[in-house]
Amino acid sequence: MSGIVCAIRGGPKSQRTIEKAIALAKETGEPLYFLYVVNLDFLSHSASSRVQTLSEEMREMGEFILLTAQAKAQRAGVNAHTVIRQGRVSNEIINLGREINAHYVVIGRPRKEHESNVFEEEALSAFIRRVQDELGAKVVLVDEASQ
Amino acid sequence: MKRLGIWVILTVLGIGIVAAWFRGVDAETPVLPPLVVGEVYSTQGRPVTGADVLFKDPVTGKVMGKAVSQGDGRFALHVSQIPDRAVVQVHRAHFREQTVSLSVQDMQRLRTEGTVALPRITLEREQGAAFWAATLAFILMLVFIATGRLHNTLAALTGTSLIFAVSYLGGWVYPDLYIFDFERAITYVDWNVIFLIMGMMIVIAILERTGIFQWLAFASYRLSGGRGWLLLPILMMITGITSAFLDNVTTMLLMAPISVEIALALDMNPLALLVPEVMASNVAGVSTLVGTPTNILIASYANITFDDFLVNLTPGVFLALLGLILYSEFVYWQDLKAASTTTDVLFRKLEEHARITDKETLKKAGVVGVGMLVLFIFGEPFHLLPAVTALMGATVLLLWVKPNIEEMIEAVDWTTLVFFMSLFIVIGAIQEVGLIDFLADVIGRIVQTHKIFAMVLIMWSGAFLSAVVDNIPFTAAMLPVIGTLTGHIPAAGDKSLFYCLSVGSAFGGNGSLIGSSPNLVTAGIAERAGYPMTYVYFLKKGVPAVVITVFLAGLWLLFHFGL
Repeated sequence: MSGIVCAIRGGPKSQRTIEKAIALAKETGEPLYFLYVVNLDFLSHSASSRVQTLSEEMREMGEFILLTAQAKAQRAGVNAHTVIRQGRVSNEIINLGREINAHYVVIGRPRKEHESNVFEEEALSAFIRRVQDELGAKVVLVDEASQ
Repeated sequence: MKRLGIWVILTVLGIGIVAAWFRGVDAETPVLPPLVVGEVYSTQGRPVTGADVLFKDPVTGKVMGKAVSQGDGRFALHVSQIPDRAVVQVHRAHFREQTVSLSVQDMQRLRTEGTVALPRITLEREQGAAFWAATLAFILMLVFIATGRLHNTLAALTGTSLIFAVSYLGGWVYPDLYIFDFERAITYVDWNVIFLIMGMMIVIAILERTGIFQWLAFASYRLSGGRGWLLLPILMMITGITSAFLDNVTTMLLMAPISVEIALALDMNPLALLVPEVMASNVAGVSTLVGTPTNILIASYANITFDDFLVNLTPGVFLALLGLILYSEFVYWQDLKAASTTTDVLFRKLEEHARITDKETLKKAGVVGVGMLVLFIFGEPFHLLPAVTALMGATVLLLWVKPNIEEMIEAVDWTTLVFFMSLFIVIGAIQEVGLIDFLADVIGRIVQTHKIFAMVLIMWSGAFLSAVVDNIPFTAAMLPVIGTLTGHIPAAGDKSLFYCLSVGSAFGGNGSLIGSSPNLVTAGIAERAGYPMTYVYFLKKGVPAVVITVFLAGLWLLFHFGL
């Protein structure tokens, strides 16, 4: 088993990442896995007791976002799988990559420094090293589209 | 034999009664010691509790009677011995000591009639080391909350611990640092607020598992036929009405994800729905007593009932909500116009998410909810506090639905309850040392006795400050200030200033992303969907919304109370 892991959040900034992953899947013929990670860190300051409630809702929302990406892949003639996980984004990408023996990991890179993104520049470099060390996969960085 | 026995018993009883009567006649009537009564008030006209009142001989300094002023400021001092001349000395931490000399006539009356009533004793505030220590702890707490450096609860706990550390440890080294002791601090915790919030949290925890909110959002999508301009007001009304009865954070936690899905299904920017929804939640939440924690605080402090809110505030809130809907339509018109029809796959997914998951529980919750509403509205003649109604409703629902009790208890947001308890203690400390009186004095000097001016000032300054600092600590701190102002402004007895505080503190939450907790929760959800709601973005959309809504609700309040 091998494949491409594409971690997405949805929104206009993710579109270029999704398109790149679809193109890569077409080019290599490897199965494409869109991954959405539910992360509820933002609740810690305001509603920490509502994690259970929101986690179910965010899972639903994540599935919906994945469906839109899947539909896009389908329109391009690519059959994509969708995976939803909960936890730290970097860990979940590695976990899924290990499970499917990923050859490629496609993620978005922020256009500007300090722009809201799952990965800051420093963390991004560390993550790329980790993917290469732990999975032996290639990381494809895609400059995110402006909103 | 039997009859003889009865006679013996009756005779013994008769002798006993007669003996007791004679003994009563012979006994000396106890003579009460002479009594000095009076009342202690602050210069702001508030009763001073816990003041030590001493009756002393001014020559020898010998204390001949002691008392402590009660909650209403009154004291009754029993005098053990009447000297030729006497003074009454009043001592209370954070006030200047006051000594009152008893006149010759007072002394004479004390000897002949046994009682003297002193004129009101007024104590002046003293701003010593304790004043500055408590103020610093309060400001530190606000800064921690505003900057997000600490969780709200941890920030309030830090403030509380600092106050106790200063009182107990600092006060031991330098007595002027003493603020208050633990027993006194606990009296500032408003248990009515704590139990009301707790009861409502249990009710919400049961209700939120039924899927009703998601179903409502989907119903509004169907009702609008996918037309963005129609969908927006329906969603805003649903969010607003829900927020009037449930807490705003829960409303947005449940409404935001499904709203994102609806927006994605219609291929439109989710922020065009999320921002107006959270603003509607912040505005409409204040239409009832139970809608926001700030209203719960205000109602408990000022004895404002559920009905009072409905009569005095709800029409103004709906006027503001109408203005907000029109404003949102104007601001997001391009996004709303861009809404297009959805695909079958996405529609089916939406439908699946928006299903009622537990009809039986929903029916039971509906029955209990209506019962609670009836008690909230008609419970006043029975002196039924909202906290009692909420607790009873929660208990009935727990007994009827029989959910996993441990899960339900876990669903209670204990961190919020601890936050409130700690906050009450910090606010109590600044009240104790006189910061609240100082603020009330400053505002009182500005507004004099002009009610309309006071209403406008409280509303707009409240709105501005609530956009900068969390509105819960702000409201809690302002309550005693407004209480003092209400006492000073002759026409403010209608509690209009409290309604102005409610409007200002809640609507101001729309002024910035950090202005209220629902804003942060909604921003978090939007960001996880790939649509970041930045501080500047929210500020641009929020400030005009605050101006419009405060203006409209203020207009209602001014006509209703002032003009």
